[in-house]
Amino acid sequence: MNSRRQILAGLAALGIATAIWLPCAHLFFVQKESRYRSASGLPPKARALAARHLQLWTDPALRTRELERMRHSNAEWDFMGRSFLVWSLAEMSLREPAAKTTYLAVMDQIIAETLRLEQERGLYFFLMPYAKERPFLQKPERSLFLDSEIALMLAVRRTVEEKPEYRPLLAVRVETMLERMRRSKALAAESYPDECWLFDHAVALAAIRVADALDGTDHSAFLREWVAKARQNLIHPATGLLVSSFTTRGTPLDGPEGSSIWLAAHCLRLVDEDFARDQYRRARKELGRTLGGFAWSREWPVSWQGPMDVDSGAVIPVLDVGAGASGLAFIGASSFGDADYLAPLHATLDYAAFPKRKEGRLKYCASNQVGDAVLLYACVLGPIWDKVKEAQR
Amino acid sequence: MSGEGKGRLRRLAGAKMFSAAGFVMRALAIAAVFTVAHALGLREHTTFLSGTAASVDGGMDRSVVLGVIYLATYHAFVLLGPILLLAAGLLWLWERLLRASQGRRISPPADP
Repeated sequence: MNSRRQILAGLAALGIATAIWLPCAHLFFVQKESRYRSASGLPPKARALAARHLQLWTDPALRTRELERMRHSNAEWDFMGRSFLVWSLAEMSLREPAAKTTYLAVMDQIIAETLRLEQERGLYFFLMPYAKERPFLQKPERSLFLDSEIALMLAVRRTVEEKPEYRPLLAVRVETMLERMRRSKALAAESYPDECWLFDHAVALAAIRVADALDGTDHSAFLREWVAKARQNLIHPATGLLVSSFTTRGTPLDGPEGSSIWLAAHCLRLVDEDFARDQYRRARKELGRTLGGFAWSREWPVSWQGPMDVDSGAVIPVLDVGAGASGLAFIGASSFGDADYLAPLHATLDYAAFPKRKEGRLKYCASNQVGDAVLLYACVLGPIWDKVKEAQR
Repeated sequence: MSGEGKGRLRRLAGAKMFSAAGFVMRALAIAAVFTVAHALGLREHTTFLSGTAASVDGGMDRSVVLGVIYLATYHAFVLLGPILLLAAGLLWLWERLLRASQGRRISPPADP
């Protein structure tokens, strides 16, 4: 064969091979749904992820190393890793009652240490440094980021099993959040100085709803009013999605964001199921992407390009794969039972997040402790929300 | 390794780029580089994708460089390697078919 003909034949073979291989590659990473999702009990992936987290909370040296690594980039992740783990353990306690005692002990350990750190080191310990660049508008200074996640930690722990010491702690957090949101016409409370986040408000509303179910209080009028105000002030016109951040006057700062909307839609299910489902459907259309059996989430919709922040993680160009947004997309897809999106998300995870298994424990090298805790939560969520909804009925 | 085995390796190493042997050689080279990157533990540095360094002491820049090297070799191994092997198979098949059809054209007609 002459060389020109050989080159053409080689290129043609490469073209055909590419056309064969690329659509098939995902088949090596596809897993049975029962590996990561189950109606009861723990799916194997959740068990392996949980084993790694439980090891972190029983091995102080390992935990210190892992938390230092995250705090070096973002102190918020140290805090959020605790929240997602406590929320996951609560779900796991209801799924696996035989292990409840073990899970409750770890939950109480995390809650106690988090409250201690908040008290001893102040709210800035878990905030990013720019929180100190200007003063909070609402006095005394507090962050809804901390109040909402701590409130939900206390609430889900009590949903699993009552702990009398936590009852007043939860009541105070709930009243504080309500009082600060009510100070603003937009029902917006600061997480950072004059910076309010959808993520934190959605978690706060979910915590209030769980507290109502636990203590027989009724804040449904406030929750309805919040949704009405959000529809009025916080909807991005081009997509119909809630924006990710806004001022205390309800003026949007950023557009919709993948690293906020997926979890917000999940939390809003406790407040207004139809609105939450609509937000999920829109997020799926505007941010969810699938190709060749793989799936991911964009950080921003096509119609709104915002500045990248540390929450976004790395964004892989061309395909616009947002690391943070894709991680949280698991929660949305799992919460709304979107198997068509969840399956390729898991294929992508095992292809591109580099799982590392050791002695029954699983971690994703491309992730970190908070990322893995988010994935764990996505694998086990369900029973707590069901129990709260049942109690409300 | 036997003399025949060494001879085969030499033929592979010296194969033209757009030949079946050339594609196999490149797939093997990719697999070798990926194996080295994996054995060196570079997988841990892909944590830079989450905005975190593999260790506080090592720093973020080091994780980005080593993580990108791992990503490149991994994707080459998972995506490019199989494509090269498939292409090599296709080319080998095509060359055999071509040779067989040329053989039929050259061979003299059978006696009546």
